[in-house]
Amino acid sequence: MQHFSRKLFGLLFVLTLLVSACGGGTTVSGENVPETESAQPVENEAGVSGDLVIYSGRSESLIQPVLDAFQAKHPTVKILLKSGSNSELANALIEEQANPQADVFVTTEIFTIQNLYQQGLFASYRPAGADSLPPEFIGPDDSWIGLTRRARVIIYNTELVSAEEAPTSIFDLTDPKWKGQIAAAGSTNGGMQAQVAAMRQLLGDVDTQEWLAGLMANDVTFFGGHTDVRKAVGAGEFKIGLVNHYYYYLQQAEGSPVGIVFPDQGEGGIGLISNATSAAIVKGAKNVPAAQAFLDFLISEEGQKLFAELNYEYPLLPGVALKEGVQPLDGFRLADVNVAEAALDFNGTLDLMEAIGLP
Amino acid sequence: MQIQDTLPQLRRYYHISPRLLFAAGLVALFVAIPLAYIFFRAITGGEEVWIRLLQTRIWKLLGNTLLLAATVTGGAALIGVTMSFFTERTDLPGRRVFRWLLAMPLAIPPYIGGIVHLTLLRPRGGFIPQLLASWFGQPIPTPSPLGFGGAAFILTLFMFPYVYLLSGAAFRSLNASLEEASRTFGRSNWQTLWEVTLPALRPGITAGALLVALDVLAEYGTVALLRYETFSSAIFVQLSGRYDRSAAAVLSGVLIVIAVIILWGELRLQGQARFTQMDSQWRPAPPHQLKRWKIPAFLLVAFVVFASLLVPVLVLGVWSVQALLDSETLASIMRSGSQNFGNYVWNSLWASGLAAVIAVLLSLPVALLSVRYPNKLTQAISRFCQIGYAIPGVVIALSLVLMVNRYLPFLYATPLVVVMAYVLRHMPQAVRASESALNQLSPSMEEASRTLGRTSLQTIVQVILPLIVPGLLAGAGLVFLTSLKELPATLLLRPAGFDTLAVRVWIWASEGFYVQAAPAALLLVVASAAPLYFLLRREQIFR
Amino acid sequence: MNALELRNVTKRFTSAGTPAVDDISFTLADGEILALVGPSGCGKTTTLRLIAGLERPDHGSLHIKGRLVASPEYFTPPEKRGVGMVFQDHALFPHLTVFENVKFGLKGQPAAIARETTHSMLKLVGLEKFGERYPHQLSGGERQRVALARALAPRPVLVLMDEPFSSLDADLRHEVREQVRGILKAMSATAVFVTHDQEEALFMGDRLAVFQSGRLEQVGVPEDIFHDSATRFVAEFMGDSDFLPGVVKENGIETELGLIPQKVNLPVDSTVEIALRSDDVNFDQTQAPNALVLARFFRGAYYQYRLRLSSGKLIHAFKPHTKTIPPGTSVHAYLSAGHELTIFQNGVAVGE
Repeated sequence: MQHFSRKLFGLLFVLTLLVSACGGGTTVSGENVPETESAQPVENEAGVSGDLVIYSGRSESLIQPVLDAFQAKHPTVKILLKSGSNSELANALIEEQANPQADVFVTTEIFTIQNLYQQGLFASYRPAGADSLPPEFIGPDDSWIGLTRRARVIIYNTELVSAEEAPTSIFDLTDPKWKGQIAAAGSTNGGMQAQVAAMRQLLGDVDTQEWLAGLMANDVTFFGGHTDVRKAVGAGEFKIGLVNHYYYYLQQAEGSPVGIVFPDQGEGGIGLISNATSAAIVKGAKNVPAAQAFLDFLISEEGQKLFAELNYEYPLLPGVALKEGVQPLDGFRLADVNVAEAALDFNGTLDLMEAIGLP
Repeated sequence: MQIQDTLPQLRRYYHISPRLLFAAGLVALFVAIPLAYIFFRAITGGEEVWIRLLQTRIWKLLGNTLLLAATVTGGAALIGVTMSFFTERTDLPGRRVFRWLLAMPLAIPPYIGGIVHLTLLRPRGGFIPQLLASWFGQPIPTPSPLGFGGAAFILTLFMFPYVYLLSGAAFRSLNASLEEASRTFGRSNWQTLWEVTLPALRPGITAGALLVALDVLAEYGTVALLRYETFSSAIFVQLSGRYDRSAAAVLSGVLIVIAVIILWGELRLQGQARFTQMDSQWRPAPPHQLKRWKIPAFLLVAFVVFASLLVPVLVLGVWSVQALLDSETLASIMRSGSQNFGNYVWNSLWASGLAAVIAVLLSLPVALLSVRYPNKLTQAISRFCQIGYAIPGVVIALSLVLMVNRYLPFLYATPLVVVMAYVLRHMPQAVRASESALNQLSPSMEEASRTLGRTSLQTIVQVILPLIVPGLLAGAGLVFLTSLKELPATLLLRPAGFDTLAVRVWIWASEGFYVQAAPAALLLVVASAAPLYFLLRREQIFR
Repeated sequence: MNALELRNVTKRFTSAGTPAVDDISFTLADGEILALVGPSGCGKTTTLRLIAGLERPDHGSLHIKGRLVASPEYFTPPEKRGVGMVFQDHALFPHLTVFENVKFGLKGQPAAIARETTHSMLKLVGLEKFGERYPHQLSGGERQRVALARALAPRPVLVLMDEPFSSLDADLRHEVREQVRGILKAMSATAVFVTHDQEEALFMGDRLAVFQSGRLEQVGVPEDIFHDSATRFVAEFMGDSDFLPGVVKENGIETELGLIPQKVNLPVDSTVEIALRSDDVNFDQTQAPNALVLARFFRGAYYQYRLRLSSGKLIHAFKPHTKTIPPGTSVHAYLSAGHELTIFQNGVAVGE
């Protein structure tokens, strides 16, 4: 026992010495010139094995089926998943830049991943099949790839709100007639952050801020995630919610009386705000072969089908069918957002929400 | 010979052992470094960060945090003292059972209690508002559990046992002669309670209340869940939401200053709380007769037990059954990545267990030094090692993230960093337990061993350790219990594939999957209840 | 060779304060029992702890069996000194049985021999049937004897006892101390014994060392200490003496109770004090009264009277209980010592 504690003290001593010896430190700055490593696709897909560390900003229930399918294909790979918010994990990646822990980063929107690309955090990789994806969903230097699209929609409880009454624009949400009747996700939610970032691009800071202030003045209840929002609207706790489109379908599948509005389609409207889930391989990843195999799988027909079937998302790979009942995006006018610019000033988006005091 | 009841006189001893001083100094250094690092980062955080935060956040956060701490502390003191008065000083029916039930909410992390109450009380959608609506045929407005009111309610409900236990012990140790003396001076029962009994309990009550205040400052899960922003949750948001650690460091610096002030008060009171100690002349004061207040008092106590213990356990139980019966939910409970439910349980147990062992081992040199060689320096070391009380988990996490990754990269992203955070945060419990165990051991035991041919190290192993093992186990139990519940530091420091029960509960619950979170939450409560039971058995009021 | 020798030992607990032990020197022969006696806080326990190695001296040196064990530069830790100690609270290890407690100090000996020694020690203290019990299952006197057996078992060169009987009831104390003295003598043990009870010191010690305020006032056999006190303090502490002022004259010392025909080596007209015990004073009513009876105390075989002399000085006197004199009676007090009285000037005894 003494022996053990003596060893322990020894360890502590070494620890303190180390700490005191290393003064100063390096800071991560956004101005780093992105460097990209090139890596060749690994041929023997079946041969990948080992730990695959995935940092995922996606709701676990939405990504687990995909992980399971990948796991089934590569039984020797051990998937170590760290779930959290996009920004939490992005921060971890930045912090770990000199000491990378993750192999793959999966996120729910493209601003964060673009921002991290600008900080030079990713290794280039162009997965098999990437050529079939729409080019705007492949990051510069093949740093990241888009996986699925999602649209920001309005969900409403059909027992409390008729289809005619339902708001047709996100700007209707500040209408006092909905005061206290609306649920949304808060400032820590990636989907919400992306929406605000997009709106800043479309409207500028002043109008975006006004819209957020309007939401708060309208006593919108902000939850931590969208599952709470959809369930609350489904249960009639709130009349209206602001969610990603698939939450509507998930709630509908539970048998709730809910309706959906793809907003801002009218003349002069800003259009439907959409975004894409995305993934990238972390520079310095320890298990590059497995990471590449995983990215290959995500945009393979099989992976894309899973996202479409289980999650009601819009697959980016052409030819993969939508889940039955999901309205195709083709029919809607989409808001036009400059991803790179929005990503560059992502801190500005956070500042704006903080200044407003968005919960 | 029984372990002595009285404090042994603090004997002057032969020279302070340099080895012991060195070991204790290292422990203090281990505690000091993360703290010093955060302060360093806060001060060097950059003028413009300070200005931005002073202009926007700090004042509101300060107001929010202090208001919540004050309200919860006051509420916990009120409920805690009331409950201990009923169970210790009255003929309340069922008081033996209530004595236990009132302490058990300590096994329920406030955020889990918060999850349960949130689902029950959420306006319109909650179970109770819906029940009311179906009874009255129309929605009845109910107070929202979100925001300040809800956070204050939940935290009070799950933190009052600190005050309850400390004031209960103080009530119990009061000598009957104290109240009898007051009566002979012409005071009524009621006047005696206010003028004599409660003032005599004040150190115990205040010590409990300050512990509550420190816990409120450190609380992350509950305030985040109920959407009331305090320093802790703001730091977490800064830490996880921005690509800039300076703001988090600045806020942490401010939070530590507040907490250190409270800790300082608590440490000052620690010694004084002893003045209610029993001596050989001790006689228990006879219980007050409640008479016609018996039923209202019973209902009040029963309600507190109901809200703080039965409701969470029952709701979690029902959800757990639902979860286990639903194959899809069950499947998602069982897996995250390649990890399964057994991994979470095992991770929780071993990380908390290892933290408990390390914390107790590290506390030993500190306690030996401060108890056996009491002087200003050794007291200062002991107090310094208790500073973890004042560093909320999220601040410790921030400090370790920054420090370990920079200077000990091989340790980074290993579960050992999580364990390190637990040790830093919960070391005070170990130090206090070790000190109190050593305090009850007469120094002549060690001297006898020395004169019988044992060196100081042999004496520690052959005489001191065997005699203080129960006290050390109590310390280890406390560290284990609190580490098991720890959330923010675990969230921020866990490596991929190392989720604990607390983390799983939090992730599922924050995504809205309460039923899915229930089995893990229930297991967490049960795993915490076991050491708690053991710890309570040692307490005088449960004998 | 002396079993123990202290030379000019000084110990301070605070650098500025008065020393707890101030320049103490004495020696102890093999097989001798020395009682350290004095009021509480006089330094006797500190001296014992210095001998045990539980404190370090600031000045001076300690030798055990001729071997240096402590000086400001050199220190032998307690476990290396070969001393046995009996503590005030006995300090029996509660987690060990009586047998294991006694055996504790026999580490390093072959197991069979250690067992044998333990048995014989328990037998010596009359506790051979109690080996399997735990300390809390014993009475106070039994614990005392276990503590002694434990201290004696390793055959220490020196046995140290710190107020070993203070935790016992008065009845038991007399019985136990007689047993302990018998055991120590039977083993020819050399022992240092601390007490604040002068009667106990006189009973236990072959020699006594009287302490006051960290200083050693006198070392000597009980008779010398009692009858030939070196200082006023020793006379007062050890013998309940009263002190009668007097003035040195050609032919003796003049006092309120008349001239004492005792020569002292002091100039005429020096003021001195004469130590008087109750058995040195008598009184009657046959002559002109010079004192008033203030109180009478029943002491069993005799009465002790408190008298106030005309000067206001209080003295005490014994009388057989065959005759009682009520308080308030005026009487004539006189000296009836029948032996030389001890004379002090400025607190120190003066010779002839």
